Amino acid sequence: MKKVLRFIGVFLFVVPLLYISVKAYGGDNQSPPTITKQEEIKISPELHKKFPMKSMHAKLSLSCVFCHEGQGNNPEEWEYVEEDACLSCHKTKKYLAERLAFMDTLKANPHNSIHDGTNLSCDECHNEHKPSINMCSECHQKEIKENIWMRKVP
Amino acid sequence: MSKEKLFILIFVSIGAFIGMVLSYGTYFGIHMTSGEKFCVSCHEMDPMVVSYKDDIHGGKGVLGASARCVDCHLPHDNLANYIYTKAKNGIAEVGIHFFGDPDAIDWQEKLKHRQSFVFDTGCLECHGNVMKNDLATTSKQALKMHKHYQELKGTEKEIGCASCHFDAGHKGMRNMLNYYKPEHSMYKEKMEEKKKEVQKKYQKYGIEVHEE
Amino acid sequence: MADITRRSFVKMGAVGAGMIALGSTAANAAVSEKGVKYDGEYDVIIIGSGYAALSAGITAAEKGNKVLMVEKMGRIGGNSVINGGLLAVVNSPKQKSEGVNDSAERYIADSMKAGKSINHIENLQVIAERGNDALKLVQKCGAKFYDKLSHLGGHSVPRTYLSANGSGSGIVLPMISYFKKLPNGTIKNKTKFDEFVTDDSGRVVGVSVREKYKFDKKAKDDHRENTGGKRKYYKAKKGVILASGGFCRDTFFRKIQDPRISDSIDSTNQPGATAEVMMQAFKAGAVPVHIGRIQFGPWACPDEKGFGAASNFNINATFRYGISVDPKTNKRYMNELADRLTRATAMFKVIGDEKNFPINICDQGAVDKIIPEIAEKSLKAGVVKKFDTIDALAAEYKLDAAALKKEIAAYNGYVKAGKDPEQGKPVDKTEGVQIVKAPFYATRGVPKLHHTMGGIKINTKAQVISSETELPIPGLYAAGEITGGTHGASRLGSCSIPDCLVFGMVAGENI
Repeated sequence: MKKVLRFIGVFLFVVPLLYISVKAYGGDNQSPPTITKQEEIKISPELHKKFPMKSMHAKLSLSCVFCHEGQGNNPEEWEYVEEDACLSCHKTKKYLAERLAFMDTLKANPHNSIHDGTNLSCDECHNEHKPSINMCSECHQKEIKENIWMRKVP
Repeated sequence: MSKEKLFILIFVSIGAFIGMVLSYGTYFGIHMTSGEKFCVSCHEMDPMVVSYKDDIHGGKGVLGASARCVDCHLPHDNLANYIYTKAKNGIAEVGIHFFGDPDAIDWQEKLKHRQSFVFDTGCLECHGNVMKNDLATTSKQALKMHKHYQELKGTEKEIGCASCHFDAGHKGMRNMLNYYKPEHSMYKEKMEEKKKEVQKKYQKYGIEVHEE
Repeated sequence: MADITRRSFVKMGAVGAGMIALGSTAANAAVSEKGVKYDGEYDVIIIGSGYAALSAGITAAEKGNKVLMVEKMGRIGGNSVINGGLLAVVNSPKQKSEGVNDSAERYIADSMKAGKSINHIENLQVIAERGNDALKLVQKCGAKFYDKLSHLGGHSVPRTYLSANGSGSGIVLPMISYFKKLPNGTIKNKTKFDEFVTDDSGRVVGVSVREKYKFDKKAKDDHRENTGGKRKYYKAKKGVILASGGFCRDTFFRKIQDPRISDSIDSTNQPGATAEVMMQAFKAGAVPVHIGRIQFGPWACPDEKGFGAASNFNINATFRYGISVDPKTNKRYMNELADRLTRATAMFKVIGDEKNFPINICDQGAVDKIIPEIAEKSLKAGVVKKFDTIDALAAEYKLDAAALKKEIAAYNGYVKAGKDPEQGKPVDKTEGVQIVKAPFYATRGVPKLHHTMGGIKINTKAQVISSETELPIPGLYAAGEITGGTHGASRLGSCSIPDCLVFGMVAGENI
């Protein structure tokens, strides 16, 4: 009898232990697929200084070629990118407008403004390698200065 | 049956009963504190719950599949971590709710640290295929960016799913947050109106409604 | 900015660099067709992307032409998207339904009075006759208008349609969408027109442009300093339509026409409103008309930039249903509904050298008559202020409350009597609105550079006339603010949009 009881006791103790350990240390570990390293494009420190990356892009450790895709291997020859580069991550202009939908209540949404709808290209306001500007302040200088309308343009 | 055997039987039965109560109780406890009905009982969560309900992850998609709050906001790498984090966060949140000022929380600022409260292990529980690079439906952009994610994983520059997919689960949250706490004075009256609209519409999910 | 333009300049291919050097210096003649390798061929090329350009583009494209619209700014629509969206149409459907009696003669007479009789009558005739067609065109694209007509200063009867959203964008954005959907219409922005390409006979057969052009808002004279962009040539088999607007923001050119216009004077225009396209037309032999006639809009506010929110408020409320007073005398000093030149001159006299800005005043009765958004926006921007009493209003602007009340009472008396012996305001046409109902509204006023009446001479077919032959320059058309003579010395309000739309349409029909 004692043997049986001992067996049951051990069983009741060990099985859950085993179960927990399996769950804890098992789980689905997707082994990452093999990454083929592309040839590194050398960006000199002078270029980095001249064309700094915005903080939110740098936070994601984005690489220069993510935007300057297809512009060749020589960074000296790169040109300013068109809005498709921005929209490759930032989806669509409609999506960006919806994100600020609360501004539509006053028709003051910079991404869906009363003047331009969603026609504006990103670089009317947003710059990567130099501070962005607020195009609306060309006329609406007062509201922008008094900070009653929108955040500083990222 | 001998006295000995009876004792053992009773012991085991009581043990089994206590074990069942404890485990069932724990299970229920964890389960009931995992859904949005529980999370929204603290009204400072209203904008989050509303934007969640407006999102595919809240069931707005064609098939209605949804994720619970805990599926994304708690780690799913192992059970011990899950329970520990749940307990830790729960105590902290309850503390802030009752002894702090939940209305003074600057959610826009907190969003900048979303990597710390949106767990990739949660995302991967459903989106496990996302790292496979041989699927026909994966876009070029996704392949490129997920490769970037994997290269940074484990390094000090590690990013999370939510670093890029900032509004996954809570589409339009910036708007919701503005309805409850306008960022800019110009919108004050309109945001009040919008808030009342939203409260009416989503009342059934437990949103706090002020009848004035 | 200079860094990038210099960098992209260096990055040009060898051929491109040579072309840039040719184009960026002040070329003496248009580019000859010989030796030009075209990068694309179109039937019609239009310079600009506003009312006139879109009207021309839609008309030409719907006739079966392959149309290219070239816009130097990144933003499409120029001044056309930021104005008030008011257009005057003679014998319009709304005039009929409101029982307004109008005629081309009356419209021409009104324009001539404001224009000091130097208007080119034949052009006014075209606008009066084709206004309804232009209205139909924009409504076809989806433009929506406010129910009621508005009665603007200088017009003897109500003629003015108001864009339903309070902005010209309510007309232009639907036109842009419509044009973009046409299979044979293309818009290229960030593309700067430099010169015409002409054949041996002098006919305009194409354009030389720079693509990927980044307008430099910090430059004093972008079109003179900016050498960026990639050289391209496009063939225009039937011709080129110039619709690039006026030159209120061309500090060099405008000062030569009127030395009193300093560089710092504010304007309602967007920064791209400059004279270079008009200059190319002159080089090609176009005849200049009334170039020195530059208009100030009297309804602007010194407390905000550009057209702002107060302008529409003054146009629709204070000037129509209220008064404007000199803060020094607490009295009125002008007919608030006179033509713009008269009002601007009077206001400048009041302002003097001491920034003594006049105060424009109206009551709630006036505000009840206008589109609510106009008042909302101005109040929100803080440029129009609301007061419970005249005393509070006077205190705010440092006026003498007693003297002001006396002046208001006098004005109310004139409204009742239907005659303003003091300033000659047509108070019989202001629907009897006196300044009596609280709250009261006020804003400071200042004239701002608004419109250039002068420009290129066109005939009634929108063809540009040559100073040499006195005949149309083959292949060259123009429409809109870049043209001159139509409005004489001073343009009436809400008359530019119909001018642009009608002559754009006419150019598209005739090319």
